Amino acid sequence: MVTFRSVTKAYRNHIAVKKFNLEVQDGEFLVLIGPSGCGKTTTLKMVNRLIEPTSGEILIDGKNVRAMDAVALRRRIGYVIQQVGLFPNMTVEQNIDLVPRLIGWDSKKCKSRVKELLEMVNMNPDIYASRYPNELSGGQQQRIGVLRAAAVEPPLILMDEPFGACDPISRETLQDEMKKLQNTLKKTVIFVTHDMDEALKLADRIVIMRQGEIIQVDTPERILRQPADAFVESFIGKNRINNPALLCVEQIMKTNPVTVSPDCGLAECVALMRRKKVDTVLVVDAQGRLLGGVDIEELERQRSVHKIGDISSELGAVLNNVSGREAFAIMNENRLKYLPVVDKRDRLVGLVTRTSIVDAIASAVWGDGESA
Amino acid sequence: MAKVLDMMQFLDMNDTAIIKAAVQHLYLSFGSVLIGCLVAIPTGIWITGRDKIAGHVLRIIGTIQTIPSLALLGFALPLFGIGTLPAMIVLFLYSLLPILRNTYTGLTSINPAFIEAGNGMGMNSRQLLFMVKLPLAMPVIMDGIKISTVYILSWATLGALIGAGGLGDLIFTGIQTADANYILAGAVPVALLTAAAGWLLGKAEIALTPAGGK
Repeated sequence: MVTFRSVTKAYRNHIAVKKFNLEVQDGEFLVLIGPSGCGKTTTLKMVNRLIEPTSGEILIDGKNVRAMDAVALRRRIGYVIQQVGLFPNMTVEQNIDLVPRLIGWDSKKCKSRVKELLEMVNMNPDIYASRYPNELSGGQQQRIGVLRAAAVEPPLILMDEPFGACDPISRETLQDEMKKLQNTLKKTVIFVTHDMDEALKLADRIVIMRQGEIIQVDTPERILRQPADAFVESFIGKNRINNPALLCVEQIMKTNPVTVSPDCGLAECVALMRRKKVDTVLVVDAQGRLLGGVDIEELERQRSVHKIGDISSELGAVLNNVSGREAFAIMNENRLKYLPVVDKRDRLVGLVTRTSIVDAIASAVWGDGESA
Repeated sequence: MAKVLDMMQFLDMNDTAIIKAAVQHLYLSFGSVLIGCLVAIPTGIWITGRDKIAGHVLRIIGTIQTIPSLALLGFALPLFGIGTLPAMIVLFLYSLLPILRNTYTGLTSINPAFIEAGNGMGMNSRQLLFMVKLPLAMPVIMDGIKISTVYILSWATLGALIGAGGLGDLIFTGIQTADANYILAGAVPVALLTAAAGWLLGKAEIALTPAGGK
């Protein structure tokens, strides 16, 4: 666990980080994000003491980092930098097993570790171990950079815009691999980026910073749904491609589905459906709570009953805070034509249909409807 | 034709003297460059990151370079007497600047990302120097050594003026006795040695360039 206690870094003319307080949990993927000059990189580098704070303290598992020998501390913390920083005079193997060698692993152990790590990212050790960094693509180099940081299995890895210089396609791939790697290795990762998409994709929690201060700390979901202020909102909006997978179900659902009360008569209901041109209605009580649904075929079959409430069947629903991706998965798995959305008190707030998902994808691909 | 025959005869008679002079010449030159390396490279490492001191040191060594070699030999004579030692001291002083300047330039022009990566991974300053900085600066340092060697090989001819021997001896003897054979016997080997040293050190520079470098 990494604890920041009122950490401040002041330079002669400005304050880079102001009274930064945060606890990073073990195994958490924490992303620091903000515009350039917001202090995110400074914050990161204070953890492994590449930069020393002016005041405040940083604890790792309760121990103040300033009380530890800087060199020993850094060997226990993985570090990946923006420009990859693979040493051009060393082979891939020598780069990866650098820290193992520094802490005195024997060559056999080093070799098997290098092999294991390269295989983890599907790079054949027989081909790549003896290559030099300049013989690799940018994406491959950055992969090696990550492997190098993970070589001695440090419990904590710091990453400073590691994929910033990669082209968009290999960045995507690297992010996916990073996520997979993180799921298997379960390291604590502190990750700096200015790319909101990257943050949303990778983070367990996102710390949004501006001018050395924390503006908001939250899960990606909650940052999307409840941005703390206009700055966060613009930061999300400005930097985020409209990715339907990241959208909250609230953003893609239809907000006024056709509803009837359980006391509604059949004829009245059929008339309503004809008028609204729908084949399904949702049944809600006086408080707006979802009771069930009826489709037109059911109505045709049950001519004898009088009230809708008697024939409506129960419906599964999702809460309004799930992501669009989840809602879509549920619909797909259960072969549903539609999925009601309810709030915490079971009140119906909307309806996701296959059409609304297509709309969301379309607006992501072609923009928000203007060109449609 | 007669001149050529004359020359052949001269070489035949003086071959041991020429070889001896050449050996002495190489000893003078490489000795001074070697000591130059031993002083200039560590100094270059030391002044890296100490900008103020670096400025002063480079200026002082640069000033030495501007003193004409004959004048410097003149200074050496009363101070150290005649012979190999004073000549070597003078040549050593001349060898310093290119090596020092290139060591300093080589080390300061390393991409800071590599230094940061090394630091961040937990290299101590010695490991950083020997595993990262020196290998990366090596081509530039080698270039400085090459420049020094080529210069010193030709300047070493002046060593003869203060009794250090070497191929300069043959040249000055030739000048005094107006014997072209002597002059050529000194000048041609100097030219050949200089060219050979330049070529060899160029090869060494390539060999010492990190395999991953371009």
